[in-house]
Amino acid sequence: MSYLGYVVGAYGVFAAVLAWDLVVPRLQVRRELRLARQRAARQAATPVPTELTR
Amino acid sequence: MTAAARALLLRDLRLLWRRRGDAFQPALFALLVVVLFALAFGGDREALAPVAAPALWIAVLLAGLLALDTLFRGDADDGSLEQWLLAPVPLPWLVAVRTFMHWATTALPVLLATPFLAELLHLPPGQLGVLMASLALGTPVLSLLGAVVAALTVGMRRSGILVALLALPLYVPVLVFGAGSVAQASQGMDPAGALLLMAAGLVLAIVLAPLAAAAAIRISMG
Amino acid sequence: MNPLLRWFHQLGSPPTFDRFAARWAPWCHAGALVLLAWGTWLALFGVPADYQQGDSFRILFIHVPAAWMSMFVFGVMALYAAIAMVWHIKLCEILAMACAPVGAAFTVVTLATGSIWGKPMWGTWWDWDPRLTTELVLLFLYLGVMGLYHAIDDRRAAARAAGLLAIVGVALLPVIRYSVVWWNSLHQGQTIRMFGESSIDPSMVAPLWIMVGATKLWFAGSLLVRARADNLRRETGKDWVRRLAEGTR
Repeated sequence: MSYLGYVVGAYGVFAAVLAWDLVVPRLQVRRELRLARQRAARQAATPVPTELTR
Repeated sequence: MTAAARALLLRDLRLLWRRRGDAFQPALFALLVVVLFALAFGGDREALAPVAAPALWIAVLLAGLLALDTLFRGDADDGSLEQWLLAPVPLPWLVAVRTFMHWATTALPVLLATPFLAELLHLPPGQLGVLMASLALGTPVLSLLGAVVAALTVGMRRSGILVALLALPLYVPVLVFGAGSVAQASQGMDPAGALLLMAAGLVLAIVLAPLAAAAAIRISMG
Repeated sequence: MNPLLRWFHQLGSPPTFDRFAARWAPWCHAGALVLLAWGTWLALFGVPADYQQGDSFRILFIHVPAAWMSMFVFGVMALYAAIAMVWHIKLCEILAMACAPVGAAFTVVTLATGSIWGKPMWGTWWDWDPRLTTELVLLFLYLGVMGLYHAIDDRRAAARAAGLLAIVGVALLPVIRYSVVWWNSLHQGQTIRMFGESSIDPSMVAPLWIMVGATKLWFAGSLLVRARADNLRRETGKDWVRRLAEGTR
């Protein structure tokens, strides 16, 4: 009985899950930094007044 | 502490009396599950009898799961839960009293209905005693573990499937020992071991679950 | 003050942790990849085929480390949650929640490889044997912690609630395992053992421990990256995040 398919399948699943675990968090970090950049750009464009005016 | 317990019990009973119909909803749900089981098997007596006890256990478990929503929701909605946090009585004690009341009003009717439901599923004659014993020991544990889950999700609006997901791993040992004790009895072995384990679990749950649920309520409310 | 203690305290500060995680995570993953490559090569080509199971037993070298990690990560998660709850350390909350997806991933690998290994061995894709059943319940516990963490809006309350669930889960895990083993012995009279009758050949030990080390190192790397992401999400709007984000363009 050839076990090749099973062994390939098992190691393939392992590789796929690890790849997911490697990529997704790094994408999350990049996303958070991008959002912070965009927020900073928005606030620089329309300066929020820090002094109260009457 | 006993005065607080009595006050809470009386209040719950009064509230329950005003919505008497609600008390039978878990029992009704268990009946529905039983009916669906029987229909799925085509009502075949030979096929139903061996699975009757496990099916009944599942019906009771699911009915309890549905009833979990009412454990703290009413008090969370009208602000009583915050009063609990401020009460001079220990919060775990209030949780324990409330859980006992909840078990008595939701699980006890289902327990009383079990012999009738067992007939619908053609439960073999000798198994009813062990089944009732396992349910009597198991349903309080389910209520106590469910109280922890309900306390964790008390603030949430639509927590439906999350409650089931959280409760299921915690319910596994209770279900396994409960249904397993009946299986043991049906094979001619002595179910006392499994039942004693469930009793021990019940004692542990009575002591620890209210503490965990109280901590969870503090987290959810704070 | 003791330098180690001071370093530990400083690590709790969000910008310091961000720098620490950004620096060390790639090294952890790189080291893990080296060990994985070495271990996999040995597992596939260095070890002779098993007397009874042929080549399918090579799946053991992923299945066993993944199973051990699924349990280990849950313990670590509960430990971080307990520390966070007792000493109110925000970083430990973040670390605890970062453990959950990694642990769930290892549990999925355990279940999948167990199923794939079971097909040539038992002739069926699934069997309710104690180990696989416990792994399945463990997966539900992980999903529950992750689900609870994402369902509550307030991040701190969410981490505390999910942490409490993790602690309850770790206390119940031995009970769950015992109940499933008991139930299995009831129905089958004997438990099916993954290793069969053959004892472990000495040549199998090295690849196994290499893979165990590799998965541990991988876990450390993933923990750092995920904690970094959560840390950034919580601190978003603060000055240091803004400076970091603008500096990276």
